[in-house]
Amino acid sequence: MFPADFAYVRARSLDEALDLLDEAAVAGEEAKLIAGGQSLLPMMKLRLAVPQVLIDIADLKELKSGGWYGPGTGGYLSYSIGALTTYRQLGRDQLVNGGIPAGHAGTPGPVGGIPAVTDALAVLADPQVRARGTIGGAVAHGDPAADLPAVLLALNAELAIASRKGRRVIALDDFLHGVFTTDLAEGEVVTHISINAPDARASAYEKFPHPASHLPLAGVCAVVKLSEGLIERADVAVTGISPRPYRARKTERLLVGADPAPGSLAAAAAQVAEDTSLLGDQHASAPYRAHLAEVLTRRALARAIARAAAA
Amino acid sequence: MPAAREVTVQLTVNGVPRAATVLARTLLVHFLRDHLRLTGTHVGCDTTQCGACTVALDGVAVKSCTVLAAQADGHEVTTIEGLSGPGEGALHPIQQAFKDEHALQCGYCTPGMVLALRQLIADHPNPTEDQVRHALSGNICRCTGYQNIVAAALRAAQREG
Repeated sequence: MFPADFAYVRARSLDEALDLLDEAAVAGEEAKLIAGGQSLLPMMKLRLAVPQVLIDIADLKELKSGGWYGPGTGGYLSYSIGALTTYRQLGRDQLVNGGIPAGHAGTPGPVGGIPAVTDALAVLADPQVRARGTIGGAVAHGDPAADLPAVLLALNAELAIASRKGRRVIALDDFLHGVFTTDLAEGEVVTHISINAPDARASAYEKFPHPASHLPLAGVCAVVKLSEGLIERADVAVTGISPRPYRARKTERLLVGADPAPGSLAAAAAQVAEDTSLLGDQHASAPYRAHLAEVLTRRALARAIARAAAA
Repeated sequence: MPAAREVTVQLTVNGVPRAATVLARTLLVHFLRDHLRLTGTHVGCDTTQCGACTVALDGVAVKSCTVLAAQADGHEVTTIEGLSGPGEGALHPIQQAFKDEHALQCGYCTPGMVLALRQLIADHPNPTEDQVRHALSGNICRCTGYQNIVAAALRAAQREG
């Protein structure tokens, strides 16, 4: 199987990519950006996506560089990752060899990575797909069952977006709209993703994968901050069970000031699918997915808290 | 340069420079099989799941059914044909281990398995059985039950390491 006919062009710079997007818009042609293509090409092969123009942005140096920004949200330094960073590079180069630092206000320094990111990268798709799929594509695609957006949501990630109109920054939580729909407008390119987590060593991602596709029937990321034996703050994000990955605000509120014991974790986890519309399909019904999310929330919280104790 | 429905692709395949003008929608696996007649790279599914089309792109294992030939322009590809040693019947250590451990029956998935395991051993010269099984999560075999493939991977790693 192969995609429907399209015209291809490889952009050499961000400027050129933005020009090409504008030219396609003026010509009334539907253009799509392609980086790794690990989500787009399978959709094109199934003719679920039929773009007329494909603009290859894989060579854009501007989208490969990362580094420290800041101070960002809440006075913390944030760590910026180039949108073209592949899952493989994220797991090997950035996390392993130096780490995505914790982002404490003060001198930047590696702290050995964010366990929730490492968790997700180990169970996301497969090694060959991770070698090409990019972090920018993962968020821009808007897949309701993507792993990494849940982790990035729990880490309070922000996206940097460029267009001919200028640059803007948007919280991932505001960027994700619904099933394969995002805030990305015509003519825009996601250039960087920044993580503002003040300390994410106490974090975990838990997933129940579909055995064939490896997509999460449910996936939950928890980032916990403990203070004097109690939960000071918990950021919990869920994927796979609703039109878009979401923050489980009710669960988070119940955890503030709670004892990190199984009983209080279970009580908070029981609310994880409240206040959201649920999706179900032939692989798993909506109530079953909600049940999985509850179980996975308990596990992710317990694992994150165990890591807090070990840190 | 404007977008075009036909693209000229120049890439290095198994150390040899190759070039062809193809439709932009040509997938790398079809470029290799139909244009270069390198039919050792197989197509086993339509959904990026089976891994039979695995090749190394710039030294990293990828699924060639989910890469456009145009995306590979200017890059290096290694296929199963590029792995064996010089001379008749010379096998790559992973291929030899597959033979020794009886790690194939119909053989359809084997080229992709070998390329995926080559990546594993490059990343982890002494893999555990668990690492081997994880490394093969993107490759499907419908004959062997995987047991002998895992044994072959461990044997190959031992020999190479």
